[in-house]
Amino acid sequence: MLPWLEHRWTGLGLLVMTLGALILFFFGFFPLKYHTGKLAHMDDLPNFIDDISIDGHQVYNSGENSVILMVIDGLRYDFASEQYMPFVGQLLKNKSACIHVSVAEPPTVTMPRIKSPERKTEKAQWRRTINFWRDVFAMMTGSVSTFADVALNFGAPAVKGDSVLRVARSRGLRTVMYGDDTWLRLFPGLWVEYDGTTSFYVTDYTEVDNNVTRHLDKILAPDETKKPNFDFLVLHYLGLDHIGHLEGARSPKIAPKLIEMDNVVKKIYTAMQKWDRTGVLFICGDHGMRDAGGHGGATPAEVLVPLVVIKSKNFVCPHPVGPGPTVAQVDVAPTIAWLLNAPLPGESTGRILPSLLPDDIRQHLYLLHVVASHNAKLPGLPTDREFYKQFKRAVEHFALYLVTNSRGPATTAKEFYEESLEEMTKYLTETTVSFDMFAIAIGLFLLYALTTALLCVTLYSLQPENQRKLSNTHTHRRSSLGSIIAFVIMLAIVTFILTVSCFITETKSQVCSFDSLWSLVFMSIAIAFTMSYFIIKSGVEKTQELSSLKYLNIIDYLLIGGTLFHAWSFFGTSFIEEEHMTWYFLWNTLMFFLLIRTIVVVVMYLNKRLVGATEVQEKSELHERMCIVGVGILPKWILLIGLHRYLRTMNQTGDRWLFLPDTADWLNNPENSFYLQAHLVIGILLTMAICLYNLRHLNNIMQMQSALTVVATALILIYRISTKALYTPIEEMKTWDTVIIVNIIWGLLAAQFIFEVLSYTGVLKIINFDPSVKYNNKFVYNKPKAKTEDYHYDPIIEEPWNLEEVKLNLARSLSHLLLNHLMLIIILLMRPHNVIMVPSVYITCMLTSKLMDHKLLDNKPGKRTEVVDTLSQTLVHLWIGFLFFFYQGNSNSLASVDLGSGYVGLREYSPVSVALRMGLHAYAGPTLAGATLFCSVATQAQTWQQYLQSVWRVTNIYALHRAYCVTIYCIIAAIFRHHLYVWTVFSPKLLYDFVATVFSIQALLTIAEIIIFTSFASWLAKTVTFKTKL
Amino acid sequence: MFSLNNQLELRRVTISSLNTCIYLPSIVTIVSYKGLLYSIGNGSSFYVLVLIFIAELLKSFYLSSSNDIQGKKIKLNKNRAGDIVKSFLFLLGTLTSFFVGIILFGAPVLDYHEETLMLSTLLTLLTVFPLIAYTGVESSMQLLFGVRSYAKDTVIDMLVTNALLTVCGAWLGAIVIPLDWNTPWQQWPIPCYLGAIGGYLLANVLTVLKVTLMSAAYKYPSLNFLVNILNKLCISK
Repeated sequence: MLPWLEHRWTGLGLLVMTLGALILFFFGFFPLKYHTGKLAHMDDLPNFIDDISIDGHQVYNSGENSVILMVIDGLRYDFASEQYMPFVGQLLKNKSACIHVSVAEPPTVTMPRIKSPERKTEKAQWRRTINFWRDVFAMMTGSVSTFADVALNFGAPAVKGDSVLRVARSRGLRTVMYGDDTWLRLFPGLWVEYDGTTSFYVTDYTEVDNNVTRHLDKILAPDETKKPNFDFLVLHYLGLDHIGHLEGARSPKIAPKLIEMDNVVKKIYTAMQKWDRTGVLFICGDHGMRDAGGHGGATPAEVLVPLVVIKSKNFVCPHPVGPGPTVAQVDVAPTIAWLLNAPLPGESTGRILPSLLPDDIRQHLYLLHVVASHNAKLPGLPTDREFYKQFKRAVEHFALYLVTNSRGPATTAKEFYEESLEEMTKYLTETTVSFDMFAIAIGLFLLYALTTALLCVTLYSLQPENQRKLSNTHTHRRSSLGSIIAFVIMLAIVTFILTVSCFITETKSQVCSFDSLWSLVFMSIAIAFTMSYFIIKSGVEKTQELSSLKYLNIIDYLLIGGTLFHAWSFFGTSFIEEEHMTWYFLWNTLMFFLLIRTIVVVVMYLNKRLVGATEVQEKSELHERMCIVGVGILPKWILLIGLHRYLRTMNQTGDRWLFLPDTADWLNNPENSFYLQAHLVIGILLTMAICLYNLRHLNNIMQMQSALTVVATALILIYRISTKALYTPIEEMKTWDTVIIVNIIWGLLAAQFIFEVLSYTGVLKIINFDPSVKYNNKFVYNKPKAKTEDYHYDPIIEEPWNLEEVKLNLARSLSHLLLNHLMLIIILLMRPHNVIMVPSVYITCMLTSKLMDHKLLDNKPGKRTEVVDTLSQTLVHLWIGFLFFFYQGNSNSLASVDLGSGYVGLREYSPVSVALRMGLHAYAGPTLAGATLFCSVATQAQTWQQYLQSVWRVTNIYALHRAYCVTIYCIIAAIFRHHLYVWTVFSPKLLYDFVATVFSIQALLTIAEIIIFTSFASWLAKTVTFKTKL
Repeated sequence: MFSLNNQLELRRVTISSLNTCIYLPSIVTIVSYKGLLYSIGNGSSFYVLVLIFIAELLKSFYLSSSNDIQGKKIKLNKNRAGDIVKSFLFLLGTLTSFFVGIILFGAPVLDYHEETLMLSTLLTLLTVFPLIAYTGVESSMQLLFGVRSYAKDTVIDMLVTNALLTVCGAWLGAIVIPLDWNTPWQQWPIPCYLGAIGGYLLANVLTVLKVTLMSAAYKYPSLNFLVNILNKLCISK
C-alpha cells in the first residue's frame, strides 16, 4: 500500500474521509426530527372508531371558548401560592382553578448583560430568541425542538411547522399578542393584533409590563353581544425575570411585582365572568429562577414552573388541593387547540390536560382517542410495541362502549388510552432528544483512525527526500495482486468486527439497520477503516528518518505546542466561548519570542559591524543572513506588533466581554464617520497596492492586468459609495445600482483569469496583440541548451524545452491571481471598519514568514532547514488565519455570523450564493492566510519538483491540523453531550468546525486544481509543440 | 550549570538567593496580611518597590563586595558618579521599553497607566537592576543582547536566569485575567505583578536547590548522574 502513502493527495483524500466521519458523528449527535410538515385539518378527526361511526366534529366540539395564555417570565413554582399571589391562591383553594407542575426544559442561556450599541443587539437578540425558543416552541407546536431546528434557521428564527397559532388562524380565529416580541419573530404573520415589547433593557421592569397591561381594558371588554374581541390572547410579562436578573429571587421588589401580576389575573377573571362564552386562562412561567437570580441551571427552582388553569364557568378542579400533577410543556398546545375547536397541531406529541377533559364519557373517550391516534400516526413510532397494542385494545373497548353504552368498557378504555398515551409520549420525547451512541462511537473511532493515518502521512512527507527514496528502494515491492488480497482480507475482518459490534451492543442505530442505503454507508465506513489501517501500517514501516525535525527551534516548539494545546483547551466551556483569548495570548507570545530573537540577531550584527570584523568568517555569515531581510525588519516588526494591538481592539468578541465598547463601535458612531471612511479607503488602497505588487508574477502584457485590477478597485470604491459607506459630492452616485456594480466586478475578475490563460497559450501573440515590448519571457517555451555544439545530437531524446520552468511560473501566476481575487472579493464583502483586516493579513503573513526563517534566527549555519521551514510556515499561517478570524469579530456562537455579507450584490435570496458569501466572509482570515501561504510556497520553490514537494507537505500538515482539531473537539462534545450549554456553546462550535473542514477541503482542492491545470497545460503544449514544430 | 571551581562565588550566590527566598515572601505575606494585596498594582504600593530596591542593592553590594579588591575598587572610584548617572539613564530606558512593550502586548492603552508603570518598574527592578549593579552598564548591555557569553560566570548565570523567569512569570500571570472566575484579583495588573515576583522567587529557589544538589553530589558521587542530566539540559537550551 506504499503508493497510497506516497501519493500527493492522500492527505486531501483522508480529509474528505474525515468529513464523512464527521457527518456520521453529526448524525448521531444531532438527532434529526422528521418534520412531516403536515398541517392539521379538521377533516383529520376520526369519524369511525373500529368501524363504529361517530360524528367527529360534533363530539370534538368544546363549546365557545376564548383562551388567554399568560406567560410570566421567571415565574417559579413557589410564586404561584397564596403567600405571593393571594387571588390565585384563593382560586386554587376553592377549586375554581387548577395548578400543575410543569417541568421546563433546562433553559439555554442566561441573558447577556446588554448595554451595547445597535450593532451588537443583533447578536444578543439571537441568544435571547434561542433562550425562549425551547419553551415557546414546546408550548405552541406541542413537540420538543432539537438543535437542528435552531441552527437551520438562524437567519430568521421562525417556526416553520404546524402550531396552535397556525391552526387557530386557519379556523379564522382572532389571535392577539401583547408582550415580548420574540413571539412575533417566531410566528410571523399569524397575529391579527399585536404589540411587541423588547426586553433589552434589563434595568426596566415596570415599563415592559405596563406596555402589556395597558391593552387589557380594551381587549378584555366584550362587545354588545357580550362576545370578547379575541379568541386567543397571549400575554408575556417580562418584569419579574428582569428583577430576578437584577436583584435575585429574594429581592423586595419581587413581592409587589407578583401582586401586580395577581391583579392582572383578577382583572382577567372578572372580565371573563361578563362574557357569554367560557374564558380559559392559562398562567405559566417559561422557567424559574435561582434565589441568587438568573437562570440557566437545572436546579428545581429553575426548572419547576407552575401551570395554572382558570376557567370562568362550570369548573371544579378534579385534583385534590396541593402541588398538583406533573405535566409536560408540550401538553399546552393540544389543550389550547382543542379549546379553540381547532385540530391538534400536526406534530404535537402532547396530551390534553386531564383537568380540562369533560365529564361526558363519550367526549372524554373521544378526545383521548383523537390524541392517541394522532400520536400513533406520527412518523417514527413503531407499531410493534406494547403501547401500540394497548392503544388498539383501548380502541376496541371504546367501540364496545359506543355500541353497548355501558360503563365497564368505558373505564377500561380510559385506562388503556391513558397508559398507552403516557408510553407514547415518553417514547416520542426520547427518540427526538436522544443521541445515537453507536453512530457517535463509530464516528469517533473513525476520526481517530483517520487522524492517525494523516499523522503517519505527514511524518512520512516530512522526511528529507533522499532518505525517503533510499528507504523505499531497500524494500522489495509487493505484487499488486498480493496487496489486493491483503486489502480484501482486512476489509472482511473490519466488516466482521463492525457487524459483531452492531449485534453485541444491541443498538437501535440506523447504521446497523442494514437496509440498502445504510449498508452502503456501513461498507464505506469499513473501507475507510481498512484504508487508514494500511496507511498507518506502511507509514510506521517507512518513516525512519526524521532527522530534519532536529532543527526545530524554540519558536517551532511554541507553534507545535500551542497548536496541540489549543485543541485540548476546549474542555472548558469558557475556552470555547473565549477562544479568541487563547489565540491572542499564543500570538502575543509568538510575537514576543520573535521580537527577542530578532533583537538579539540585529544587535549582534550591528555590534560586529561597528566594532569591525575580528572574526572574518562569522561576520560574513551574519552578513549573509541579514542581507535577506535587512536591519529594517526590527522596526517593521515593532510596528506590526502595534498594528496587531490596534486590530485586537477593533471588535470585542466572545461572550463575557462582548458588551465592552470597542473601536468598531466608536468608528460606527455618526460623528466619527470621517475616520471610518479613512479606514475604508486606506484598506482598499492598500489592498490594491498589494494586488499590483503581486501582479509581477503574472504575464502582465501591456500592464493589462494592472489596469483591470485598478478598475476593479475603483468599482469597489463606487460600490461603497452607493451603499453610503463613503462620502461623495456627487449625489447621483449614491443611487447607482449595487447589483450591477458587483456584477461588473465579477466580470472583471473573470476577465483577468481568462486573459492570463489566453496570454499563456499565446493566442494574443497569434492575433498580433502585442508581442514586442513588454512581453516577458517567463511563459515562452524555449530551449536553454539550444546552443549545443554537437549538431548531431538528437533533440527528441534530450528534450531541452524548459517545460518544468514554465509550469512553475504558471502555478505561481495562478496562485497569485487567486490571492488577488480573494482579497478583492473579501474587501467587497467586509464591513467598512473591517476592510483594513485584508491588507493586514497579507502584511502579517509576509513579515512573519520572513522573520521565521530558520536561517536567520538560528546561529548555527549549514543546516538543511527546508522541512522545518515548511512546517513552521504552515503552522504560523494557520495561526494567523485563526487570529484574523477573531479580529474580525467572529466567535464560536452562531450569533456572530454576519448575515448582511451574504446579500452583497444579490437581488434575491438564493441559498447557495448567500451561503458562499457568508462563508467566505466569516472565514476571510483563514482563507487569505492559506492563499498567501500557497503563494509563498510557489515563489520560494526553485524547481517544479521542489514546489510539488512543498505543496505535498503543506497539504498534509493542513489536513492533519484540521482532522486533529475535529477529532479532539468531537471527543469533547461527546463527553459533554448532556452539558447544560450543549446547544449554546458546544453545538455551534461543532458547526463551525464542520464548516471549517468543508472550507479546508475546498481550499486544498483549489490548489490541486491549479496543479492539475498546470500539468494539463504543459502536456497540451508538449504534444502540440512536438507535432507542429518538430 | 554552575562550575564548582569558585567556591567563594558559589557561597555568595547561595546566600543571596536564600536572602531573596526570605525577604520576598515576607513582603508579600505582610502585604496580604494587611489586606492590601488587591491594591498591589496601585501607586499606593510604591513602598513595596522601595523595599525591593533596597534589598536588591544590598544584595548586589554583597555579591560584588570582595571581588578582586585591589583591581576593581580603584576603577569604580574613578568614575563612580558617571557610572551612577549612566546606570540611571539605562534603567530609565529599560523602564520605558518595558512600559511600551507591556502596552503593545495588551495592557490597556488609555487608562491604568499608573498600574502599568508600577509593573514595569517592578520588572526593571527584578531583571535589569541586579545585573547593572553587579557588572555595570556596558557589560550588562552586552549580556542582554547576547553579544557576550556568560556561561562561565556563576553570579551572572544566576542573575540572567532570574531575569528570564521573572519575565516568564509576568507573562504567564496574564493568563488568568480573562477567565470567568469573578475573583477580585483578576484585575490588571495584579496577576502579572504577582507572577513576576513568583517567577523571581522560583528562580532563586531553583538556584539554592541546584547548589545544594551539587554539593551533595560532591559528597555522594552516586548523585552525579542527576547533575549530568541537568548539565545536558542546560547545554541543549
